Amino acid sequence: MVQTQPAPTPFISEPLTWAQICKRYPDEWVCLVEIDNINDNDFAFRTARVVGHGKRPGDPFEQARPFRDQHECMGHYFTGRVRLPLPRLCF
Amino acid sequence: MQITKFDLERDLIIVPARIWGRSGSRMLSLVLDTGSASTVIAPQVVKDIGYDPRDRIALTTVRSALGKEHGYTLKIARFAALGFVFTDFEVNVFDLATGYDIDGLVGLSFLRNFDYEVRSIVGKISVRPAVTDPFSP
Repeated sequence: MVQTQPAPTPFISEPLTWAQICKRYPDEWVCLVEIDNINDNDFAFRTARVVGHGKRPGDPFEQARPFRDQHECMGHYFTGRVRLPLPRLCF
Repeated sequence: MQITKFDLERDLIIVPARIWGRSGSRMLSLVLDTGSASTVIAPQVVKDIGYDPRDRIALTTVRSALGKEHGYTLKIARFAALGFVFTDFEVNVFDLATGYDIDGLVGLSFLRNFDYEVRSIVGKISVRPAVTDPFSP
């Protein structure tokens, strides 16, 4: 018998600052839409809406799926501190 | 010249990037890594913009401190970072080990197109297109 997980309920938050997003979804991955960027070359934005969140990187993509058609561009960010060490890669 | 700021409080140099695929674009945070030959993107990201392992150019093996890992190379429609955009840009799609909370790496496959300077005291990266030295042999 194949068990399937229920589809995550779609939601869209009110516009939030990055500090508010980090407080609401600590140490999680989030998908953001309607990102009100301050400029192109850094992460700074005034507000954005959250359409997905979760502990695994792929979680917010699944939750954000219903919003793909309306929002061509989505942000995918981690709200916690990036953990070390990073492996040295050689190809 | 393009200037990109980065957060001095973080343990790694993390820069904003954007990739475009068949089903939209994603804004990501990538680690600037001059020790990586390739630019690396996590599989769940390329999947979400409409790519599939069947779109690969080649299978790859990545040797890291953790051992051998398998990935593949892929040409994505557009890739933007540090103020510059490339079309049909080749990336290595590779699952960075669990516990690394980033979407990938900006490696030398991107950086070798530029002269760049990382100013760690002020948290800025300045980038300009590489110009061939007319006096070099």
